[in-house]
Amino acid sequence: MTWTDEELVARSISGDADSFNELILRWERPIYALAYRTIGREEDARDVCQETFLRAFRALPGFRGQAKFSSWLYRIALNLCRDWVRRERRAPVVQPPEDADLLELAAAAEPSEPIEDLVARKDLARLVERAMEALPEEQRTAIVLKEYHGLTFQEIADLIGCPLSTVKTRLYQGLSVLRRELAKNQSSKL
Amino acid sequence: MSDLLCGYRGDREAMLMAYLYEEIGAAEKAEFDAHLATCARCRVELSSFGAVRKQLAQWAPPAFAHWNKASSGEAGSALAHWSSTTDDGRRTTSHGSWWREIPAWAQVAAAALFIGVSAGIANLDVRYDGSGLHVRTGWSRGPGNPANPANRENLANLVSPVNPANLVTRTDLAALERQLRNEFRMTSSSASPVMARAAAADGDVMRRARALVDESERRQQRELALRVAELVRDVNAQRQADLRKIDQNLGIIENRTGVEVLKNRQTLDLLLQRVSLRQ
Repeated sequence: MTWTDEELVARSISGDADSFNELILRWERPIYALAYRTIGREEDARDVCQETFLRAFRALPGFRGQAKFSSWLYRIALNLCRDWVRRERRAPVVQPPEDADLLELAAAAEPSEPIEDLVARKDLARLVERAMEALPEEQRTAIVLKEYHGLTFQEIADLIGCPLSTVKTRLYQGLSVLRRELAKNQSSKL
Repeated sequence: MSDLLCGYRGDREAMLMAYLYEEIGAAEKAEFDAHLATCARCRVELSSFGAVRKQLAQWAPPAFAHWNKASSGEAGSALAHWSSTTDDGRRTTSHGSWWREIPAWAQVAAAALFIGVSAGIANLDVRYDGSGLHVRTGWSRGPGNPANPANRENLANLVSPVNPANLVTRTDLAALERQLRNEFRMTSSSASPVMARAAAADGDVMRRARALVDESERRQQRELALRVAELVRDVNAQRQADLRKIDQNLGIIENRTGVEVLKNRQTLDLLLQRVSLRQ
């Protein structure tokens, strides 16, 4: 039987540690991805992810279910990311990916797919990373939550604590910057 | 794009986003569809945003390795593992040797007792004769080997009857032996599980180290594959550029050769004409 997040939260509050571990397994990847795309450092993203669940665990008795558990987790993670950026006193750094999926892609790709295509895809991912660097933090957060986590405008607004129209404006501005940066990077690459 | 005119009345940016992400009511969508049919600027912008979104989809975070993989791999260990993290983010380690769990004063006392007892037992000499029980340890012996007759005489002079009040009885020795045996038994029995834990911890460390090494090797392989792929791409590009250059050079040479041939032919024709005129 698959428990809902809310059921697992209720069981965790009543002392069932396995239920909270289930929540961790369910949400650690999205939280890690959110942290990585927000701060751009793999190790720090892992730390943020871990700290997010620790804080959630400690604060669980106070969780009243006024928001979805996932939104609550996202908020904790985003606050930690913001703290990280302030602590580091610099803009988030997006590292080049570790080329982690190149061989996996190669293994998964059709034998007829040339390696050049794989490299091209990898290059594109790097271009996206560089373009994301150019975004102000609030625009990047809006883009990440929308594009990679599929949150609705309203959910993003609730999470960040801003009006719905602001979310749309940030998305529009962010996409405009990305369009410009991607075009610039692609032309400089040629 | 901005030089195109858009006559949309309303929050154009918000509507574009709502349309792009399909968070829009049916009536609003129909209305904006009608606008799009007449507005090139909005069509172009929507299309470009769509292209940006496709590119964004190519960006994936590095592979996620579950924390538990390095240890037990069970869900139940995640919380326990994380619970060992201190408030300031430092992780406490459980890899210390078992003996670190014993207080320092106890370790010192045990060591002193062990050394003392060992040294004493090593040179213990118990004799029972008419004058009573004689017990001597290594400390009370004189120098030299007692087996040597010369030393034996010296020893005889040195040995004096022991005061019966200070004599150690067999019962005392038996009690001492029992006590020592008990202590050794307790020490070994308490050490066993702790040592087993230590062995398990070492095994855990080895597993983690092996996982790190494996991961490092995988990264290097990936890096190598990427570099090789880039090299292949560069070599191909260079080869094509060289071929193009060779083609161009060949064309130039052909042209020059053609021109030379033409000139020679013209010269030959001229000579032939002159020769024919003289004749």
